[in-house]
Amino acid sequence: MPQRQLFLNIDSCGVSLFYFIAALAVALFLLGIVSRIYLWVKSAKGKKIIWNSEGFSNFLVNGLLGRRLFKGDFSAGIMHFLLLWGFAGLFAATTLVAIDDYLFSFLKGNVYIVFSAFADAAGLMLIAGVLMAVIRRYLQRVPRLERRTEDFLAVFWLLLVGISGFAVEGSRLAVQNASWEKWSFAGQFFSMFFTHSGNSAGLYQFLWWSHALLSLLFIAYIPYSKLFHILAAPASLYLEKQPGIISGAEDVSEERSPFSLREIIGFDSCTRCGRCVDVCPSAGAGERFAPRDFIAWARREFSLNMDMPSLLSKIHGNFINRDPGDSSLTEENIWNCTTCMACLEVCPVFLHTPDAVRDARKRVIEEGTKVPSFLSQALKNVFKYNNPWEATKKKRAKWCDDLDVPDLSAAEGPADLCYFVGCTTSMETRAQGLARSFVQILRNADISFGTLGKKEPCCGDIARRAGEAGLFEMKKEDCISLFSDLEIKDVVTSSPHCFHTFANEYFSCQMPGSAEDQFSFRVRHYTQVLHELLEKGFIKFPSKLPLKVTYHDPCYLGRYNRIFDAPREVIQAIPGVTLVEMFHNRENSLCCGGGGDRMWQEDMEGEVKMSEKRIREAADTGAEVVITTCPLCLIMLEDACKTAGFENELRVMDLNELLVRAMDIKAVSGDESMAEKEIFAAGG
Amino acid sequence: MRAWQKKRYLQLEVRNMNIVVCIKQVPEVGDAELEINRDGTDILREDLEFEINEWDNYAVEEAVRLKEVNGGKVTVVTLGDEDSEDVLRHALAMGADEAIQIEEEGFEGSDGLSIAKALYRVLKDLSFDLVMTGVQSSDDGMGQVGVYLAGMLDLPYATLVIKIEKKEDGIIVNRELEANTQERLEMTLPAVLTIQTGINTPRYVSIMGIQKVRKVAINEVSAEDLGLDSEDIGSEGSIFSSLHFSMPQLGEGAEMLTGSIEKMSEQAAGIIRDKGGMS
Repeated sequence: MPQRQLFLNIDSCGVSLFYFIAALAVALFLLGIVSRIYLWVKSAKGKKIIWNSEGFSNFLVNGLLGRRLFKGDFSAGIMHFLLLWGFAGLFAATTLVAIDDYLFSFLKGNVYIVFSAFADAAGLMLIAGVLMAVIRRYLQRVPRLERRTEDFLAVFWLLLVGISGFAVEGSRLAVQNASWEKWSFAGQFFSMFFTHSGNSAGLYQFLWWSHALLSLLFIAYIPYSKLFHILAAPASLYLEKQPGIISGAEDVSEERSPFSLREIIGFDSCTRCGRCVDVCPSAGAGERFAPRDFIAWARREFSLNMDMPSLLSKIHGNFINRDPGDSSLTEENIWNCTTCMACLEVCPVFLHTPDAVRDARKRVIEEGTKVPSFLSQALKNVFKYNNPWEATKKKRAKWCDDLDVPDLSAAEGPADLCYFVGCTTSMETRAQGLARSFVQILRNADISFGTLGKKEPCCGDIARRAGEAGLFEMKKEDCISLFSDLEIKDVVTSSPHCFHTFANEYFSCQMPGSAEDQFSFRVRHYTQVLHELLEKGFIKFPSKLPLKVTYHDPCYLGRYNRIFDAPREVIQAIPGVTLVEMFHNRENSLCCGGGGDRMWQEDMEGEVKMSEKRIREAADTGAEVVITTCPLCLIMLEDACKTAGFENELRVMDLNELLVRAMDIKAVSGDESMAEKEIFAAGG
Repeated sequence: MRAWQKKRYLQLEVRNMNIVVCIKQVPEVGDAELEINRDGTDILREDLEFEINEWDNYAVEEAVRLKEVNGGKVTVVTLGDEDSEDVLRHALAMGADEAIQIEEEGFEGSDGLSIAKALYRVLKDLSFDLVMTGVQSSDDGMGQVGVYLAGMLDLPYATLVIKIEKKEDGIIVNRELEANTQERLEMTLPAVLTIQTGINTPRYVSIMGIQKVRKVAINEVSAEDLGLDSEDIGSEGSIFSSLHFSMPQLGEGAEMLTGSIEKMSEQAAGIIRDKGGMS
């Protein structure tokens, strides 16, 4: 009857030795896992993980099926799929053999035939996957992949395990040569090499022990290498949708690690696949920052500061030091991150690197001694003067001196809509054009609106990005109390940053029952308002505007809030205007370099400026105008347009400015800014 | 250095250094357009924000750094109204351990001498190795308090200090002199130093940092507690009296540009071109 004899030709002494080594390997495996889980539990800080079906489906779709892995790199997806299912299949086969041997025997007859075919298929998948990995990393040399010792060990060890497995099977079949074994199709093939061997029993023993030792040691190696992602990545995928545990330490100076559980597990899930390095604008500009390097740095920093039992700490130290990393990333480079979120968009384990960067910044802010000096001044200004730009509160409403905009804070309302202008749009000359145009469009559409005038606070975005948690809370309270005093229920912002902060960060981590809980308001970015006005027919275009434009997606509008279509539909509604896309668009948009508080820091050392890279891409489309919908992007791109020498062929405009031009609204007074004037002249 | 590392470090070597830093709250005038009140006795303070005097901020930072390395205690002292508690909290958040506030009542119109008298009364009962003040304050800018204090305490002093090194039985300081020259001095302790800006980079003080020291008790003392009569302090106890505040008159060689930004930029570019600054 078709079945398999365990420990064929291995004497009882050998079997005992095998079990001894197996026990040792499993002990090492468990110890490694315990040392990691210990840290996980510690960093959970008592917060509970709740059942969440979205998290589970994320695990299924992006973990087991590997959708993220296929995206943008199909061959990597196939490779991982083969490895994952080959590995899982072999694991299942071994488990079945164990059940068959210890619990009840069922692997016989036709079941055994199906089983052996299944196991062989899994083995082949694994070997195929490993070979693909070898080819991709060592022959094809895909740029984002590294060739470190650990990478070498992981693939070649697994390859040896796979091949030795088939060799054992082949030599066994050569000896047994039963007719049903033709279903072990791969083993059958391997057995050809053994048929003429005179000493196949001895060779079999050698092969058997090689395979056993390779496999057992491989298991022991898993938790001490990047292979640990086999366990950590599913956890990371599941936690993606757990809002309760996503925030890091509130009081970082008291905690040894500033990171949240989700981030810690994310660090452990990272295999250094390098997808983030490919898309990171800072790495792309040749700066000393890449999400991958940050993760290695953060994991090291975090682990060094953790208090743990000495045995675990030693094991854990080895784990961490396995990868000293060749990067020169240091603590000062955490300020390079623009928080553009491009890395999360491609990360197969959904590691929220920008959140982790913020948590790392929190610690630097609370320690105080290494805060970049410009940023420190900007934060002080936010605290005292409610804006990061200038040490004055007086100038905030100057941009609309001649526009006669109702000041809601001075009871010049009531108005349906509160236009929250924001610090940059209020204070920065170029960005003021955005506000002036938007006001004209709202007026033209007869919308009842007002601003908060001089009393408008900072939304706290700058503090939030810098990890200045206390200042963020303070600004949040300022805004909420002003909004609730004035009974403001509908807010529109100039900046996607204010929009994101209001919409997603004011009420996300709130304790139930707190005062802010009582009050809520609707917030929209101006693109959403423009889109609505267009749909309702409040925006009309009297004549054609023959213009070729391209659209730059701001990170906080696009990737963060998935608003890709509204601005494009508004642009395309203008008769005569043709919209061409840049190479990086929508969720793959390239950051202008102004986010994550980079706007308020010194230029960082790199090969090129991010904004100049972006403006070159815009120029490559052949468009005459690049449209954006964020005051920071507007400033960055406008500067880049000049410094990169595209001043004569390309103009940077805010969407409002384009609309005012297309709607042929008469300028309110003769003092429109120089930029506006130039565009008007050029556009005609 | 994190807290637990610091602790471990301090256990290794105990060579405490107690430092008293005298600080002052001043109006922040960076970008503010100052106006003078109608009587010409002071600037208009209503719309102004207040902060720790810049030089004093450097002094607090330097004191905290010396403490972090050597151990010991930093005490900050100020003379001012209840709002000046803010600068004490600021210093506590930076790492100072204790704070003393001398109530302003009776001290109105004090000059450097009168302020120094009050500080002296507080300092004489404290044990310290070093007293630090800023070189000067950004509002009155007299630069006297530190040296008066040294005289009253009868201690060696150094002004314009831009570097402090701790030695076995004293300190070596660098003083910043004209044209980038520096003087190196060896001093015994205790001593009085007036600290120059640029000696360090003062740390950022976070809102949470301030909140954490909110409950630290501030030791309040009045002129009476210090045994000072009204003739010792305020304008009576001062040797200077202020006559008048004024804004500078527009003189020759200055030209104010007006109009829109574009117009002003054009004019400015024209002037630079005319003077040969741009080819």
